[in-house]
Amino acid sequence: MNFISALTTFQWLLLAAVPPAIISLYFLKLKRHPVEVPSTYLWTRTIEDLHVNSIWQRLRQSLLLFLQLLVLLLAILACLRPGWRGTNLIGDRFIFMIDTSASMSATDVGPSRLEAAKKHALGLIEQMESSDVAMVISFSDVPRIEQAFTNNRSALRQAVNKTSQTNRRTNISEALRHASGLANPGRTSQAGTSDVQVADALPATMYIISDGGVPAVPDFAPGNLTARYVKIGTASPKNVGIVAFSTQRNPEKPGQLQAFARLENSGAEDVEVEVALYLNGGLVDASSENVPTDAAQGVSFVLNDINSAILKLEVQYKDDMSLDNTAFATINTPRRARVLVVTPGNDALKFAITTEATARVADVAFADPATLDTKEHETLALSGAYDLIVYDRCTPKVMPEANTLFIGRVPPADGWSAEEPKPSPLIIDIDRLHPLMHLVELGSILIYDSLPLKGPEGATSLIDADNGSLLMIAPRKGFEDVALAFELVGEYPDGDVNAKTNWPRRKSFPVFVMNAVRYLGGARASLDVQGSQPGQPVKLRTEAPTDQITVESPTRVRTQVQREGQNLFVFSRAEELGVYTVREGSEREAGQHFAINLFDSRESDLVPREVIDIPYFDEKTEQVGLRASLAEPSRKEMWKLLLIVGLLVLVFEWYVYNRRVYL
Amino acid sequence: MSSTQSSTPLLSPQLLAQLERLELVSRKIFRGRMKGERRSKRKGQSVEFADFRNYVSGDDIRFIDWNLYARLDKLFLKLFLEEEDLHFYALIDTSTSMDFGDPTKLHYAKQLAAALGFIGLCRADRVKIEALGASRKNPAPALRGRSSMWRMLDYLNSIEPGDNIPLAQGVKDFCLRNSGQGILVLITDLMDKNGYESALRFLLAQNIDVYVIHVLSQAEIEPEVSGDLRLVDCEDADIAEITVSRPLLNRYKQTLATFIDGAREFCTRRGMSYLMTSTETPVEQLVSNYLRQRGLVR
Repeated sequence: MNFISALTTFQWLLLAAVPPAIISLYFLKLKRHPVEVPSTYLWTRTIEDLHVNSIWQRLRQSLLLFLQLLVLLLAILACLRPGWRGTNLIGDRFIFMIDTSASMSATDVGPSRLEAAKKHALGLIEQMESSDVAMVISFSDVPRIEQAFTNNRSALRQAVNKTSQTNRRTNISEALRHASGLANPGRTSQAGTSDVQVADALPATMYIISDGGVPAVPDFAPGNLTARYVKIGTASPKNVGIVAFSTQRNPEKPGQLQAFARLENSGAEDVEVEVALYLNGGLVDASSENVPTDAAQGVSFVLNDINSAILKLEVQYKDDMSLDNTAFATINTPRRARVLVVTPGNDALKFAITTEATARVADVAFADPATLDTKEHETLALSGAYDLIVYDRCTPKVMPEANTLFIGRVPPADGWSAEEPKPSPLIIDIDRLHPLMHLVELGSILIYDSLPLKGPEGATSLIDADNGSLLMIAPRKGFEDVALAFELVGEYPDGDVNAKTNWPRRKSFPVFVMNAVRYLGGARASLDVQGSQPGQPVKLRTEAPTDQITVESPTRVRTQVQREGQNLFVFSRAEELGVYTVREGSEREAGQHFAINLFDSRESDLVPREVIDIPYFDEKTEQVGLRASLAEPSRKEMWKLLLIVGLLVLVFEWYVYNRRVYL
Repeated sequence: MSSTQSSTPLLSPQLLAQLERLELVSRKIFRGRMKGERRSKRKGQSVEFADFRNYVSGDDIRFIDWNLYARLDKLFLKLFLEEEDLHFYALIDTSTSMDFGDPTKLHYAKQLAAALGFIGLCRADRVKIEALGASRKNPAPALRGRSSMWRMLDYLNSIEPGDNIPLAQGVKDFCLRNSGQGILVLITDLMDKNGYESALRFLLAQNIDVYVIHVLSQAEIEPEVSGDLRLVDCEDADIAEITVSRPLLNRYKQTLATFIDGAREFCTRRGMSYLMTSTETPVEQLVSNYLRQRGLVR
């Protein structure tokens, strides 16, 4: 138990003078009112035995004195603000950083980790001296200043109380930068002078109240900042969470759909859980899975092909965090890709792009390079009428509002360039992970010549050859441009127009064309729309051109989203977990759905970390990394209780005074 | 303290009418000095037949029932009830403490003495009302007959409070001067710091029928006081400092009850009649109910 003085020395002296004053007042002779009575005979006999033990009697009759002194004692004690288990705050400037990420919703400390963190923060605020200043920052993957530096404790308390739970992931680096910026003001450099400090450094103590599930922050300089990590959470929480859930069409068996999920168990024991898969609310499949401790378990389900559905996967296991026990996936009606192939004539390409498989997902149109100059084509290309335009040996004047695939030409966009054609490139490496190159094998491919491509910033080479990149992909305003460095059919130096590669004769060519149609044509998006995580912006495209869409959240909150680019809508309020519904324009029918899931192993792992991995040198442990401070729960004050007891004593004194009741 | 009470008449006409029907009763057999209107327990000469008894030699032959002798041939003596008078004394405590209450205890005592005295006068008893300690300056007259009522009332009206002599001293004076038998009614508040016991013992020695009527004012039975007080005794200026509280008042009532019980027990053990009354109890009620039950009047 310790005390915090609430009064100044002078006030204490004044208070100390009160008890002697009360006692001396009691020793003053009571002025009694004289009353003549027939006889004091009976009165004398009545008070006779009271005089027998007069000292005790005096004490007994001084009950009021005792009560008054008791009230005073309680008031003095309350002024001393006694409390338990509190630690002294260090310094006079504090930054309270409260973790509001998804893992803080765990209920292993009741009612939730966030509530426990708030309680701790309130306890720390209670300990502040009146001259201390503090600020409150809440952080998930983005920091939020709930209250700037102030010495107004009620504002700080209010800020802490209004801190709310988010479903987001944790990223402390921005929050640390905020805190550090306030403790370490920037410096300015001017030519010819040494560094000048623009403001005084303000040392502050930062209290990170979190469960520690934050990614490492490699670039953080604490400077004047003293950091304390307050660990929230029990040592062995139990949680089984879904960290991944996706659907895919079975490439081997058309008409079959596969759903994959990954479960992780961060608890201390192996658990047997029931996993249930719901299709549009109805149970379609379930399985029992054994998830070993600190390990992951994959789950897969096979479904018949579905055009449009909402899939819900549920882990039926009572654990400390419910957010990750349910995951959603959406399958939207496949949107047919609109593909325009501009070619002077290319049978191989035409043959590969007009297969039955492409016809199911795309409408392919062909055009002559001459049409590129027409006004009609320009309007269509700029209005987003096509998802993919393939330029075979030709280039447009202006880049269209669509994804593009250039064959044997360099896109006329910023950053693209190529050197003179070089003969017989030899393929060295393929980026097999990219969707465009999915199942594409390029062994024994012969190529007559190629343009060594140089892409703009952000370009990725998908096929590397000995004399440069053969296939490059680069982003452009929400679109992607792909350039193939060699022609499929071209003119030889002798004027003969013939095949320049044997690739179209290989099985991999139609696969590549199909990949291009699916990936660049947007057909891929029809299955499992961009499963985003909470807080991340979601990019949406519509079937038909429209100016605005309406997004309805899982809790039926509707948001209007205006068009940003050509046929691109960015929805940035995906805070809730669940399935969102998109309505295009003024349509009442739901156009498409997308799901927001937590899918974060770090958030699902509820075990509170002992160390936060930031470059902070702890002087106590002489180690790098911020360790949890031991035994630092919030201070428990009893001045309110003392005042209440004092008030009760005062009421009792009033009763005694009025009823003249003596013990 | 109230002096307005002295202006109110001691006996109202209604009370007088009520009292005329009553008579004083003594539980002891006394020999009156004169023939009165009272039937004595003694047999004697009157017109009221009482009993027969065998004749023994020496009896007055005038009382032999000759008719009976003619029938039974035996001598029987006819006995008649004797009628005699009764000595009635009323002794009033006139100490300053009696001058409290509304009406004052003294006024109440005077009323009571007047009522009882009037009953005695109506029955031709010898009535003597005396104030304690007042005998030297204002000797009490011995009265007899209804016509003496006004003298009795005059004397009573002349009694003033303020004779703070000890109760025992006053009673002793009375006993020395009045040796006769009869009924004595002592009307007092018994508030004597030397105790009332010695005073009552003097009366005991007189072989007299003693009634002690203990008069207390309502302010003494249920004191209405509050706060921190210095109580001053009106007789000897004695001081008692009290802080009034409910427990103190309860304790006072306990003390008062003990005091009353003590007096009652003291009297009962010694064959005296004790009656505690409050000045709130009307005199009519006291005389016609309580004293009747006690056997003083009938």
